Amino acid sequence: MMRSGVGETFKHIVLLIGVVIVIAPFYMMVSYSLKSPSEIQTGSGGFAGSQQPFVDEYCVKLGNPETACKVRPAVYNYVTAFSKAPLLRYLLNGVVVTVSIFLIQVVVALPCAYALSKLTFYGRDVVFSLVLFCLLIPVHAIALPLYIMLSKVGLINSYAALIVPWTISVFGIFLMRQFFMTVPDELIDAARMDGMSEFSIVWRVMLPTAVPALLAFAIFSVVAHWNDYFWPRVVITGNQDLFTPPLGLRDFRGDLDGNDYGPMMAIATVIVTPLVVAFLIAQRRFIEGITLTGMK
Amino acid sequence: MTAGAHARTVPYLFVAPAVALMVVILLVPVAIAVLLSFTDYSLGNADFSFVGIDNYEDIFSRRTYGKMIASSLLYAGVVVPASIGLGAALLISSLRFAQDFYKAVFFLPTMAALLAMAIVWEFMLNPTIGSINALLSAGCGSPFWHGLLTGAFLGIDPATTWYGNACATGFPLWLGDRAYALWTLCFIGVWQAFGFNMVLYLAGLTAIPRELYHAAEMDGASSAWDRFRLVTWPLLGPTTVFVVTITTIRSFQVFDSVEALTAGGPSKSTYVMMYAIYEKAIRQNLIGIGAAITVVFLIFVMVVTLIQRHYVEKRVHYS
Repeated sequence: MMRSGVGETFKHIVLLIGVVIVIAPFYMMVSYSLKSPSEIQTGSGGFAGSQQPFVDEYCVKLGNPETACKVRPAVYNYVTAFSKAPLLRYLLNGVVVTVSIFLIQVVVALPCAYALSKLTFYGRDVVFSLVLFCLLIPVHAIALPLYIMLSKVGLINSYAALIVPWTISVFGIFLMRQFFMTVPDELIDAARMDGMSEFSIVWRVMLPTAVPALLAFAIFSVVAHWNDYFWPRVVITGNQDLFTPPLGLRDFRGDLDGNDYGPMMAIATVIVTPLVVAFLIAQRRFIEGITLTGMK
Repeated sequence: MTAGAHARTVPYLFVAPAVALMVVILLVPVAIAVLLSFTDYSLGNADFSFVGIDNYEDIFSRRTYGKMIASSLLYAGVVVPASIGLGAALLISSLRFAQDFYKAVFFLPTMAALLAMAIVWEFMLNPTIGSINALLSAGCGSPFWHGLLTGAFLGIDPATTWYGNACATGFPLWLGDRAYALWTLCFIGVWQAFGFNMVLYLAGLTAIPRELYHAAEMDGASSAWDRFRLVTWPLLGPTTVFVVTITTIRSFQVFDSVEALTAGGPSKSTYVMMYAIYEKAIRQNLIGIGAAITVVFLIFVMVVTLIQRHYVEKRVHYS
């Protein structure tokens, strides 16, 4: 009994060291986003800083009296993040892009997965082999030709450029098909007897039964595209109105003028928070979802 | 149209959009990449010519690309084994409480945008205002930590150790020093990938039937190590194959941290494949060479995936 208690404590010590390493950058990110420039430079002020008002030099440069330019660090960092960089715009772009990608992926993948699992037709094996082959192709490998194709049709710097390459998810088709294979044929036969068309079977019978798989796929898709930096970096060249959150952060970092570390960390916090909070609220679902989509 | 004819066309209507998109977005681009890799094409130029295997010759002869392959392989070679996460999964699954806490915490980096977190790491690693060097040099001033980290308490001469040396001459620039930059990026990569892999292992562990452990015990596998060797490890085979391949593929794709923190430098020490494609083809508009790197990358990834399929289908035990 004693021995296993010691073993248990030892395991916790090892894991807690890991926890410190994992948490450290999150802690620093939030902490920096609350502190004043001088506190960041000197590494003082603890977690939240002293929140002593300081003089915003940019405001003074604009000709305002010093007394009118006193700001609290936390307020200054977050206000700057939302005003100097159009952070709201970036967030909105992020939402538009991720949601469109997911919806189109489902609309394309679901009927295909249904046909591959529940309908017999000439050429089905060919289509399925195609799906399996396409699973081999890493998205990064087609980035360059896609970039050329999109620029040939004049779509660089557009929402379409951010969305179109992701409209097909072979992985989604594969996942949905695996899931549909487990749905009993009687369910579909019954629906046909009731006079439902194949089209409404897909959306009114299969879709509701596939909710767990869809949810798992949604997590996978949203996490990937909200956080994606590579593709937006390639196709959005300078048009700030189309920046997704990671691009916005990169841009802000690019023209840092000395004291803007606080606002930069505020932007990072705002970008990272939605998914992290969603995860903390529904961790079990997220982890199940990631394992389900990840494993097969 | 008769009902029968309609029923025959329905499956095709269902697969048509997916097939069309697979062809246009996946297959055609691969073909284009292969084709362009034999040309000196650049965007905006009307004409281009076929240059045979010149681009490939460049990749395998020029020093820059040699460094590219080397740094990609080194990155994957460090990140894949270091982020396996099986040890942590075993530790967590054997705990009596706080399992969910550890799972949640270790998984956090998977959810967070790598670009954002890479910038935070850069900040912490900053040699003048970063917290890591501050912490490390604080340790130099404390006899206890200095003794522990240099091994002086074992009678080792501090001057011969990394930490002792660093205390005397200053801590590295991390991202600015070519001896450290790639390793630093590897560390960030491991930090990010570890929890994801750990969760996959935890899922694999819960799928192992308890009875197998009892059976192994009856057959004389009494130590924890025996049970691990005879039951856990073989049954986690598919998980391991999956974790290793997916992490390898992701390591070959590393881009965010490289582009934002080192831009391939210093002196090309972090010039990984994905960044090379971006720099050559998109920044410098040398599409031909970018396409050739793309094809090399594609072959790497396909080989890894095919090896995985082979193992999963043939070798690995299923429960």
